Amino acid sequence: MNSLEHTLQQAFQLAVPEVALVGVACVLFLLGTARGVNRHLAGFIALGGLAIAAISHFTALPRVPGIETVTPLLGDKFAMFVRMAAFATGAALVLFAWNECDDRRSSDYMACLLIATAGSSLVGTANDLIFLFLALELVSIPTYVMLYLPGLQSKKGQEAVVKYFMLSVMSSAMLLFGFSYIYGLTGTTNLAAIQEILPRLVAGSESTTAIIAIVFVTAGLGFRITAFPFHFYAPDVYEGGPTGTVAFLAFVPKVSGFAALLKLFAFLGSAHAVANEFVKQAMMLFWILSAITMTAGNVMGLLQNNLKRMLAYSGVANAGYMLIGLAVMPTQAYRGIDEAVVATGPEAIMFYLLAYGAMTIGTLTVISHLHSPNRPVETVDDVAGLRETHPYSAALLGIFLLSMIGLPLTAGFAGKFLLFMSALAAPAAAPMRDLFVALAVIGAVNAAIGAYYYLRVINAMFLRTSLSAPTPRRTAGPLWVTAIICAVFTVAFGVYPLPMINLSRAAVGGL
Amino acid sequence: MILADAVLTTAGVESAFSLADYYPVFIFLGVVTGFALSSLIGSQLFYRLGLKPFKPTAVKAMAYESGMDPVGTARMQFDVKFYLIAILFLVFDVELLFLYPWSVVAYSDGSSPEWKQLFGRLVFWEIVVFMISLGIGYIYAWRKGVFKWK
Repeated sequence: MNSLEHTLQQAFQLAVPEVALVGVACVLFLLGTARGVNRHLAGFIALGGLAIAAISHFTALPRVPGIETVTPLLGDKFAMFVRMAAFATGAALVLFAWNECDDRRSSDYMACLLIATAGSSLVGTANDLIFLFLALELVSIPTYVMLYLPGLQSKKGQEAVVKYFMLSVMSSAMLLFGFSYIYGLTGTTNLAAIQEILPRLVAGSESTTAIIAIVFVTAGLGFRITAFPFHFYAPDVYEGGPTGTVAFLAFVPKVSGFAALLKLFAFLGSAHAVANEFVKQAMMLFWILSAITMTAGNVMGLLQNNLKRMLAYSGVANAGYMLIGLAVMPTQAYRGIDEAVVATGPEAIMFYLLAYGAMTIGTLTVISHLHSPNRPVETVDDVAGLRETHPYSAALLGIFLLSMIGLPLTAGFAGKFLLFMSALAAPAAAPMRDLFVALAVIGAVNAAIGAYYYLRVINAMFLRTSLSAPTPRRTAGPLWVTAIICAVFTVAFGVYPLPMINLSRAAVGGL
Repeated sequence: MILADAVLTTAGVESAFSLADYYPVFIFLGVVTGFALSSLIGSQLFYRLGLKPFKPTAVKAMAYESGMDPVGTARMQFDVKFYLIAILFLVFDVELLFLYPWSVVAYSDGSSPEWKQLFGRLVFWEIVVFMISLGIGYIYAWRKGVFKWK
């Protein structure tokens, strides 16, 4: 058999786990129309679907790699890392959203969650512009439904959905416009082929067109990672949306956005030899984006009194920290082969993404647990005196907030350390070396600014007394499982981050 | 007449782009203008000759806009049933839109026996999966009561 056909046939094998997920989602959709289905059944089926997908990942893995410049799907280490992260997040979010919807709507919600999980997993596998776009849309479209389903009646919830829908569609259009420029330049949609062709084109007269493409792609994906000028939907959507979906929104689009950015801009590393000036321009773009995003996120976070709005701005600030890794990514090419390094940009991003996911989802779990319609937990004052009334919730929330501040022995610290070190360790031969040192300093200053508003919540929980105790819902078993998994992750990889660092390093080895 | 130059594309030898090939557009433009003018003039003529009654009412004088009031705010409420039907229409529309090119390309004369042997089954089952997924969408809509006009 000739290897071209072999490659094309294998592409289907690579998508078996995602196809399985979508299949289970279809079953859930149909089940939702039957009478007498409750949320427990839907939840167990969703967990079963994720288990089937994880198992089929190991059984259906193709043995021989295909031709990179032909295949639309690539099963490299990066793809496997993103896939495992997506499935684990999917399981955590199924547990989170277990009691989010009533019995009638729960199976629709779970089905949408599974499809979005399949989409975010496919982003890591995609090796083709069209496939990448479809995978990103597969994350976005179910999100509209997930934002809407749990809170049909609330005005704020409806506002959140409409805002998210309109801006998400606009960002997809910008992304597609950027992709069309890349396709116009290179004449191919295959990412591996684009990595080969684009460096040669930007060296010549096409650098202006390539800059337009990069700007539009960054704008489109910037919406998903809530980078600075595209972040303004986040606070309103987080405030109005159901907490389970907000946890999804805070993490999954960021994973898929950064995975797509790393895949698309890997060519900058190989372009430095032929187009130094162009690579410098691109690095400058990400440098500015990173510095503004983290500063804006933290400064706006200071002004917030609502916990979920605060978390939204904290998400913006964290996206800024992670953009440091993207800005320093091209400098890797200037490094000597045997030069040791603490962390490169991409591997710091991969590590920080997981740390950020654990602490953000964890924080939202506790908020969702304490919240009830009679005694809402929305502002900082609402968690006052939590140490006395709900000591376990206070302890868990404390761990997550300390991780967000970036105190040592938490995963948040290890992640920030790696990111700032990746900027400080930019090789001496790289252009803008001093600017990267400055970026690390800006990051450290920002971490200090951010500490203020996280500490405000900790202060309220532990040092103030409560006026009325929150009245959590009685059935919160699945929520607690998610919270404890996130807490264990945060502490374990804060105390001993090496295994996770090694995994991240292996994942981005090719970048 | 100037003969168009031939160029070699991926699809084979084709004639190069030439604006003159698009002259039917102008014929179409002429027919459209002629129809509009002749119907206006014709209706005036019939009226002047007394062959057509003239009893205008407010509704008759209104511009025809599919049953909507053409003057006024465009921000009115539509019944959500229209949107449901529109979405449901997509199920069938997308199906057709995709099946036509599939049926033209999949087993056309251009596909070699070798190709058929390797991918023939795959292409068939792909379209079956596509149809099933649309079928699931149809059943879902049906069970959710989209077809009940209430």
